[in-house]
Amino acid sequence: MIEINLFEVLIVVLSVFMIASAVIAVWFKDLLASVISLAAMSLVLSLYFYILHAPDVAIAEAGVGAALTTAILIITIRATYRMEGEK
Amino acid sequence: MKKLAFIGFVVFCLFLFYAAYDIRDFGAPPSSMDDRIIGSYNSTTGEWEYGAVNETGANNAVTSVVFDYRGYDTLGEATVLFTAIAGVMLLFGGRKHE
Amino acid sequence: MSDEKMSVIVQTIAGMLFPMVLIFSFYVILHGHLTPGGGFQGGAIGASAVALLIVAYGSKTIEKKMAEENLSIFESLGGLVFVIVAIAGFILASAFLSNFLVGEPLFGQIPGWGESPLNSGGFLPILNIAVGMKVIGGLSAIVLMLALVSREVKEQ
Repeated sequence: MIEINLFEVLIVVLSVFMIASAVIAVWFKDLLASVISLAAMSLVLSLYFYILHAPDVAIAEAGVGAALTTAILIITIRATYRMEGEK
Repeated sequence: MKKLAFIGFVVFCLFLFYAAYDIRDFGAPPSSMDDRIIGSYNSTTGEWEYGAVNETGANNAVTSVVFDYRGYDTLGEATVLFTAIAGVMLLFGGRKHE
Repeated sequence: MSDEKMSVIVQTIAGMLFPMVLIFSFYVILHGHLTPGGGFQGGAIGASAVALLIVAYGSKTIEKKMAEENLSIFESLGGLVFVIVAIAGFILASAFLSNFLVGEPLFGQIPGWGESPLNSGGFLPILNIAVGMKVIGGLSAIVLMLALVSREVKEQ
């Protein structure tokens, strides 16, 4: 009988979410959707940091990674083109 | 490209699962190494012994390390931020009024 | 996406959300020595509030309210406070950046005030406020500057 710890299950689910959203961010052609996927990855990463007993790093990651980087990238997409390869 | 992304996905997943295998439980009591940093409460005398709380008076041990024990690092980080702002202002400051 | 402003719904929600996020950022900065967080984290939250306003209202409207020169001056003021406190540690106590307020009756009393002690951390809150000023001013200035310049690039 394998003893299932709920905490380890949470770690596995968060790992899968994080890496899947990172791969999806590379895979999308729509750059706006790609940026939103990166923000989701940052949010899950901050949850992961919180589980790893580092709440300071989690707050910094949620503030910088999920909010500021997304805003800067959205501003950049506004100034250039939305689709990859478009001119 | 898709095959490479899938292989990278599997490899990183296995790496994270291996790292999560030996983690201590959420909310588990800290080890004796943490006791030396944070300090421990002596119930007989009613005082905190040998820790960052007793030396700097801050409950958050991370802040006491960042701003007190390693204050020079924070000063360097502030310098990095100042240099970044100065670079952005020099690069784009004149261009705004074109 | 040719027009820079977003819709009225987004603008209203952003205007309602801005003071709450700013108050949360001040809470994280001022309680940096008691709860997780600190100057950099709270400053990043405050700068994200300003970035929300910029994305919702457009950079031209925000520039009339807060010019980026003033934000840069605010950032430099934070750095000045940090260095002044550090030199005060050199003068009043043993070394540069030494915690000269710990052990003093008002700010550094150990173990704090009252029945369940509330520690006040010496000069750590002052440095937290200084770094928070630096990060709020600096990151807001960077985002505002990028928004202004990218708008002009699009117009050309």
